[in-house]
Amino acid sequence: MPGEPITRRNFLWVGWSALATFFAASAAASARFLFPNVLYEPSQKFNAGRAKDYPVGVSTRWTKLQRVWIVRNEKGIYALWARCTHLGCTPNWFNDQGRFRCPCHGSNFSPDGDVIAGPAPKALWRCKVELASTGDLIIDKAVLEDRPGFREGHVYFVEV
Amino acid sequence: MLDLNEIPKKVYETQVWRSIFRHAPWKDAPRDRMRHIVDNIWLHLHPARIRPRAVKVSYSWGLGGISFMLYLILTVTGVLLMFYYRPTVELAYQDMKDLEFAVTLGKFLRNAHRWSAHAMVLIVILHMVRVFLTGAYKKPREFNWGIGVLLLSITLFLSFTGYLLPWDQLAIWAVTVGTNMAGATPFMGNEGPFSGLLGMRVNNDVRFVLLGGTTVGASTLIRFYVLHCVLVPLVAGALMIVHFWRVRKDSFSAAPLEADEQKLDVWPHLIVREYLAAALTILAIFLWSVLQNAPLEELANPTVTPNPSKAPWYFVGLQELLVYFDPWIAGVLIPNVIIAGLIAMPFIDVNPKGVGYYSLRERPLANVMFLSGVFLWFLLIFIGYFCRGPNWGWYWPWESWLAHKPLPPPTWDLPAWAGGALMIFYMAFGMAAPRLIGGEISWSRAIGAFAAVFLLAAGGLKIFTALAAAKLLMLGLFVFIFFLLGFLFPQRYLKGLDLARYALTMSLILMMLGVLLKIGLRLGFDIKYVLSLPQFNFNI
Repeated sequence: MPGEPITRRNFLWVGWSALATFFAASAAASARFLFPNVLYEPSQKFNAGRAKDYPVGVSTRWTKLQRVWIVRNEKGIYALWARCTHLGCTPNWFNDQGRFRCPCHGSNFSPDGDVIAGPAPKALWRCKVELASTGDLIIDKAVLEDRPGFREGHVYFVEV
Repeated sequence: MLDLNEIPKKVYETQVWRSIFRHAPWKDAPRDRMRHIVDNIWLHLHPARIRPRAVKVSYSWGLGGISFMLYLILTVTGVLLMFYYRPTVELAYQDMKDLEFAVTLGKFLRNAHRWSAHAMVLIVILHMVRVFLTGAYKKPREFNWGIGVLLLSITLFLSFTGYLLPWDQLAIWAVTVGTNMAGATPFMGNEGPFSGLLGMRVNNDVRFVLLGGTTVGASTLIRFYVLHCVLVPLVAGALMIVHFWRVRKDSFSAAPLEADEQKLDVWPHLIVREYLAAALTILAIFLWSVLQNAPLEELANPTVTPNPSKAPWYFVGLQELLVYFDPWIAGVLIPNVIIAGLIAMPFIDVNPKGVGYYSLRERPLANVMFLSGVFLWFLLIFIGYFCRGPNWGWYWPWESWLAHKPLPPPTWDLPAWAGGALMIFYMAFGMAAPRLIGGEISWSRAIGAFAAVFLLAAGGLKIFTALAAAKLLMLGLFVFIFFLLGFLFPQRYLKGLDLARYALTMSLILMMLGVLLKIGLRLGFDIKYVLSLPQFNFNI
């Protein structure tokens, strides 16, 4: 009824509900607090040296420092991110066997990055590669592609 | 002459002693024993008198108490280690080395902390097995069983968070793999199925919160430090309080009441056993820590993974499971189904018999299925721990890792229509067959018929395909296990259950056996995935 004074019971309902809402909102805000806004992580872009210095085949020169394999075929160069697409370990390149093999769950990949054996669900990621005017390779691990037909061209391959 | 009997008497009469322990002079009467429990803040967690069954060692094996004792040892050694350990990328590994070589007793305390953690995981698992086998999770203890299952998960999570702190190679790669599993969570992880629906990226998903970044690094170390040393122990402590309180409220033992059962005084009958178990636990951890050092690998390297990279034993089963299924299935779905299935157990097991004592005969289905699950889990641990070598290749325990192994054969997927049909057939047939086939089946005749069919089929396969005899035998064994556990057992013991409970129990059984069958298909026949739908990351 309009004009009727609010009952004690209903007043308390409003009060306690407000308190519960406050706690719920605080929990949500605390969860947001756990997502950092600034990351102090190294840049994903690096200079891999002169493109001409890479012979045909898989180069492990940057694996330990940048977690990238530089692969050169007859036409040019692409860069594979050395992170297994299964659960993120670093596979090893076996030159005599011509494949990458992961030490954590046994996935095997071809030099193209395609899965040959083991549990990995997807091919290895290829990174963006650019040829600087100096002839240096600039590799960006933040720009990735794994779909056949897309990964072979565009910014993921340079002709050398 | 010093009279050793006189000293305690003199001490007990002092005002100081009387101010701390307020009961009247000890006469060892029932009333004194009772007062000793209820007047003591620590001991009054116990009732004053207790059913004789609850103090029987061969019933409980003291496993719950030993778990708690290990938790106390872990708290004490952990607090001491915290005085030297600094959780930063630059200093953590150095501090581990200092603890090993420069700090008095540092190595011993680290050993004790590590081995107590291993022991606690094992003892908590055994405690759960004991409670299950004695049917002690049934009404009115359903809730406390659920708390116990959560405490087991928390024990594992405490171990997992602790593993990162030494900042060695084992640490960083175990946590990389573990958090990448979180990244494969449906909806909430950037590499999981349906991640696009909520707009998940590498820098806003559930893995990102866990890591405090996009890779395991400085922010991850401090996050895991806080989780390991503060947050998770607090949650564990709170749950333990509830757990112990309920144990007491439920009078400690689920055993059926015996005729003219006389209760025992907790002091001394229960207390002496608890203290003895605690002392033996300390002794075991002490000896273990003197005799064996906790491993410490090389400094963490975020780009180079050790080959092979193995998780600690209690996670290596999960690591091996990840070989056979998509990460979100092996790493998220299956563990959660196991936890939910265990919590649901008291509500789906309506068998009123076999509560409070070990009996396979009165609880054939529950105990056989549970033990099969535990066995399967430890089988995976065995494979991962003893049968895996470099590149996660298969090496028998007696083989040298230096032996040259042929490359793993290429794996293949069934076509989606065949895989889908097989999955639907497996679930539909597995669900329907035990319930629809009525009557008593003679197991000896069923097994005989199975053997005959298998011999015929094996002969046919041998003639028309190039399958080796060992593979045929393996096929026969796996199908036989399914026939026994997935058909004969439920057909005899489960078909009378109401439909909802039947469906739930049967789907848990079929999932457990499905994991086993998939392991066989991969190891024996190089089948990568039975059903692969890449657009949903559905690979099983």
